[in-house]
Amino acid sequence: MVTSLVGTEKNGAAEDPSGDSRDQSPRPRRRRIRANRVGLYGLLGVAALTALFPLLWMLSGSLQTQDELLSGDSLIPSGFHWKTYVTAWTDGDLGTYLSNSVFYTLTAVLGILVVSSMAGYVLARVEFWGKGFFTFVILAVMIIPAPAMFLAQYRLLLDLGLTNSRLGYILILITSGVPMATLIMRSFFVGQPRELEESAALDGASPLRIFASIILPLARPGLAAVAVIQGLHAWNEYLMALVLFDDNSLMPIQRGLTSFNSAETPQQQVLLAATVISVVPVIVFYLLAQRNIVNGLGAGALK
Amino acid sequence: MASLTARVRDRRTLRRNITALAFLAPAIALIGVFTITPFVQAILLSFQSWDGISLETPWVGLDNYEFVFGDDEFWASMKNVAIFGVVGFFLGNALPLGMAIAVNRIRRLRTFFRTVFYLPGILSVVVVGVIFLFMFEPRSGVLNQMLDMVGLESLQQNWLGDPSFALPSVAAVFIWFHWGFGFLLFLAGLQDIPEELYEAAELDGARAWAKFRYVTWPQLAPVTTIVSLLTLLAALQIFGTVQVLTNGGPGSHTLVPTLLIYEEAFTNNRYGSAAAMSVLFGGALVVLSFLQLTIARRRADK
Repeated sequence: MVTSLVGTEKNGAAEDPSGDSRDQSPRPRRRRIRANRVGLYGLLGVAALTALFPLLWMLSGSLQTQDELLSGDSLIPSGFHWKTYVTAWTDGDLGTYLSNSVFYTLTAVLGILVVSSMAGYVLARVEFWGKGFFTFVILAVMIIPAPAMFLAQYRLLLDLGLTNSRLGYILILITSGVPMATLIMRSFFVGQPRELEESAALDGASPLRIFASIILPLARPGLAAVAVIQGLHAWNEYLMALVLFDDNSLMPIQRGLTSFNSAETPQQQVLLAATVISVVPVIVFYLLAQRNIVNGLGAGALK
Repeated sequence: MASLTARVRDRRTLRRNITALAFLAPAIALIGVFTITPFVQAILLSFQSWDGISLETPWVGLDNYEFVFGDDEFWASMKNVAIFGVVGFFLGNALPLGMAIAVNRIRRLRTFFRTVFYLPGILSVVVVGVIFLFMFEPRSGVLNQMLDMVGLESLQQNWLGDPSFALPSVAAVFIWFHWGFGFLLFLAGLQDIPEELYEAAELDGARAWAKFRYVTWPQLAPVTTIVSLLTLLAALQIFGTVQVLTNGGPGSHTLVPTLLIYEEAFTNNRYGSAAAMSVLFGGALVVLSFLQLTIARRRADK
């Protein structure tokens, strides 16, 4: 499954659309195929434009003046009004929100990797009491949807004094990522060879040591897939951030954007510029880690 | 002698069990405290009355459920989310499948299209909401402006403010936002179909439609199941997109259960009835995914 996602480019070369030389009437057939292909590219081009247009438009709107934006006449800004970005950055307090988001995302991903790789490892490799039961529990909680839980999660954190708290938010982020990450790691460990850990165990290495110095380094591709997917999840999380935070200095960027949007009614192009700034890190990340993201999504959905 | 080796083996088994449980402990602790406990608490809270502040949470029996069943907004939100679900289920499958087939047939620019088609999927609900809020704006919004430019003023709408257009507009945004995920999975699934199957079908004289009907469709069945389940669940749990775009309005024409639960608790301070809603709606979601997974397994066994 995963490998074929990577191999996208190779496959198509096999079917050569230029036609069959034994064909009795090659010319009309070839023309029809070419017309088909033009139609195909045309269709895909329209779809690509539909996917991209809102993003390009956001960029364009963020560079327009307020008058241009309100009149709505132009798709392309008359000049590049970079000042808007400075205003957005300072008025929107984006530095605070972005660094909060980076902090939450990194700690949540790290926590998920540690917890889920340990759990996935024993579920894949070790026979122990209650293995079937724990596997079932981890599968079952994946079915519980957020709407059934977020209210009670809020109340629980309120009781624990963990609302408006970095720790509370991070614990929620980690918990929501652990079940799927554990299943991905488990299926990854199932396919790994056992010889290395067996010989290390004969040499008297402790289980934790075997895990940390032999198992984990071999699991790097699995860890990378989990990290990018969970990183995107954590960065984009909105519902719990909305419920848990009142204090602006603790908010992640998604929550900060809505509070910027509603609180002080900023000028529209400033709001658009703030949105662009919030999107840049995630788009850069996507373009850099694209292959991992695609593989991780496939692994997460099909495991 | 025999008993000695047995004892050694027992001790080893014990140690292995303890080690395994220790490795599992963090995951189980987190899930137990922050998933299972709230899940149970939500059920308990649905039989209590709580304003969000006071320490007293008196038991009120079925009062919350009675209130929810008589609440027009709750039923309106259920009806709306059912529409989102139906749209998501059909368009959220058909569109990505069609596009995956198209991309699978071309030779150049595959990576480009794959990158672009999934791009909206990495955005947050807030970003998507802000962008389309501007684009749908009735006077200066780019959608109406473009209709004006090509001489189709008659098609201009108050996309998010008109009761009959608000729900379709939000649904369109949802599809724009989510279809890339199904596309990636379908594309991967298509590439796993062995070429020989198509060659055999061709020898039997199968045309394009027959090849799709008898090779592509059955071969993709497992992927289709996953994509439809995940798209359906995402559509039914829609929240942030709606909150930013319309906040459920105009009236309650785009209200959805998750947003209603949020408002009932954090705006109206009626946590008990909000909990009853989340039990009813969340329970329906659990039953639905359970059903679909059972059907999928039965299909896979055949």
